[in-house]
Amino acid sequence: MIRKNPYIYYGRKILAFALSVLILSVVVFYIARLAPGDPLVSYYGERVERMSTQQRQWAEEKLGLNAPIYVQYIRWLQNAVKGDFGISFKYKMDVLEVIGERLGNTLILGGIAFVLIFAGALGLGILCAWKEDGWLDRCICKIGTITSCIPEFWLSLVLILIFAVNLRLLPSGGAYAIGHKNDIGDRVVHLILPMTVAVINHLWYYAFMIRNKLLDEVRADYVLLAKSKGLDKKRIIFHHCLRNIVPSYLSLMAISVPHILGGTYIIETVFSYPGIGTLSYESARYQDYNLLMVLCIFTGAVVILFHMIAQIINERIDPRMREQEIVDTTEVTEIG
Amino acid sequence: MSELLEVKNLSVSFRTPEGELQAVRDVSFCLHAGEVLAIVGESGSGKSVLCKSIMKLLNKDAYVKGGTIKVNGADITGYTERQMQRIRGKIFSMVFQDPMTSLNPTIPIGKQIAEAVRVHNPKMRADDLQRRVIELMELVGIDQAEQRSKLCPYHFSGGMRQRSVMAIALASNPQILFADEPTTALDVTIQAQILDLLREVQEKLGTATILVSHDLGVVARVADRVAVMYAGKIVEIGTAEEIFYDPRHPYTWGLMRSLPAYAQQGQQLYTIPGMPPVLIDPPAGDAFACRNEYALAIDYEQMPPMFQISDTHFAATWLMDGRAPKIIPPIGGMCHV
Repeated sequence: MIRKNPYIYYGRKILAFALSVLILSVVVFYIARLAPGDPLVSYYGERVERMSTQQRQWAEEKLGLNAPIYVQYIRWLQNAVKGDFGISFKYKMDVLEVIGERLGNTLILGGIAFVLIFAGALGLGILCAWKEDGWLDRCICKIGTITSCIPEFWLSLVLILIFAVNLRLLPSGGAYAIGHKNDIGDRVVHLILPMTVAVINHLWYYAFMIRNKLLDEVRADYVLLAKSKGLDKKRIIFHHCLRNIVPSYLSLMAISVPHILGGTYIIETVFSYPGIGTLSYESARYQDYNLLMVLCIFTGAVVILFHMIAQIINERIDPRMREQEIVDTTEVTEIG
Repeated sequence: MSELLEVKNLSVSFRTPEGELQAVRDVSFCLHAGEVLAIVGESGSGKSVLCKSIMKLLNKDAYVKGGTIKVNGADITGYTERQMQRIRGKIFSMVFQDPMTSLNPTIPIGKQIAEAVRVHNPKMRADDLQRRVIELMELVGIDQAEQRSKLCPYHFSGGMRQRSVMAIALASNPQILFADEPTTALDVTIQAQILDLLREVQEKLGTATILVSHDLGVVARVADRVAVMYAGKIVEIGTAEEIFYDPRHPYTWGLMRSLPAYAQQGQQLYTIPGMPPVLIDPPAGDAFACRNEYALAIDYEQMPPMFQISDTHFAATWLMDGRAPKIIPPIGGMCHV
């Protein structure tokens, strides 16, 4: 049995995390600056077109865009370490402030979608496994496969067309009507469409995994013994089988965070929902370098972090690895 | 004589993509209270399927094609799943082949046993339940039951797991215990212990036991009566003495001769030539005919009926017919002639 020193174990993880983020920042920094486009446009708007060469040079120097890229990067890194991520060209505000305003909206959309997806997937997965190969299971499987193949942007557009344009029941975008920033009812109404898209898109993927994992368990030998004891199906599925898929379900949830987050970005853009998804899209489009850097690194960090959490959960799934219980057995065998 | 279990003309088939697979074909036998009946045969001869079909533990692609199963005189052939749940564990329960996989890996042993007690005794008080669990664990020879009941299966060795499975099977005092090759997955040294335990518990509680095995040595150790299965049919059934000292069916002779104990010094071990038939579209006559060196012409055409040899001894071979040529059996044949 390999006993891991927790300091070394987590130290390594943290080191790997820092290194990944650093590499990510270099790559994003270079790609952003090598991509065609004029960052001055996002700062000065239309005025850029009327600028003289001298004015341009002066403006570039002011924004620190005239040095070679690696010098720019080192400068950026030095400031970033101090916690200064620069200002957004477009909003002319501190980058963190701009993001702070939007982050809450994304967390509301993504967080509620996440909870709904996982609660729904668990329920749907159990239902399908329970009714295995019945008509209900078959229908759900077919419909689920179809819905999960529909691209998010297309589904969003269709829903906007139906519910916002034709039926005029729901707003087509935004997080709240103007002047209703703190009106919860209004926010909920604005959330319905984006939330529906997010849930429909991811729900089946996870429900199907749960269904199949559960069916694997139902076919396991211990179910036969449980059955021969006289237990009913309800107890076998909920008490015996579900218990054995919970660990892998947890790690699945951790892995899915970046997946669902990515989906949220697309949905936000289509619904012009003021979250960090829309913001990333804008910042890439308008060459808002500083904002883009922070958003990419933030998203990347979340992805890496949750993958690591999933990995740690996976390593801990096996209860045999828990040290304390190993000690337990030796005690008993020694007495015996 | 009290018949605990009476199986009449039972046929069980599986739906497969290639067609109907007849796993159990027209099997009849009965089990008396308190006895050990062993069912022996090659892999795929339908032993396990027979037991599981009695308890209705087979999955959906298996179905009972015909015949009746009676327990204590009540016909359970058409019982629904709900009715079966009420008698599983209480009337009959089962010990499975591989104790490594038949326990739930994440639930402590004690809880798994308690669950089996409580399912037929929902009103039992917590401390009574705990006492009963300890009692069961001690019955199957697990010492320090108190501490060990809190451990998960992966702390247990194969033998201890099989003991735990037995404790679970015995939890609600079943009248019939099916032991489906309970020693196959265990070390040889542990096999004997588990068999002795099986016999000991059986004598203590008087539980009638059906022991499925492909090992004649195992059977000789514990069985009162023996049924030999081949290609989904019982070809010979009798008391252990009759089967071991006076076997009548050529297949039983083959099995006996394959035992290392029968081999002469310096000779190779005997094997029955050929392979058992595939049970999708089984052959018309005696399924054993093509591997049988004593086969008669009629064996290829017509299925032999059960010939009675004594009160308890039956064999399905045309050699028992009055018109059959007299042959000298390779073994046995000393008792009743």
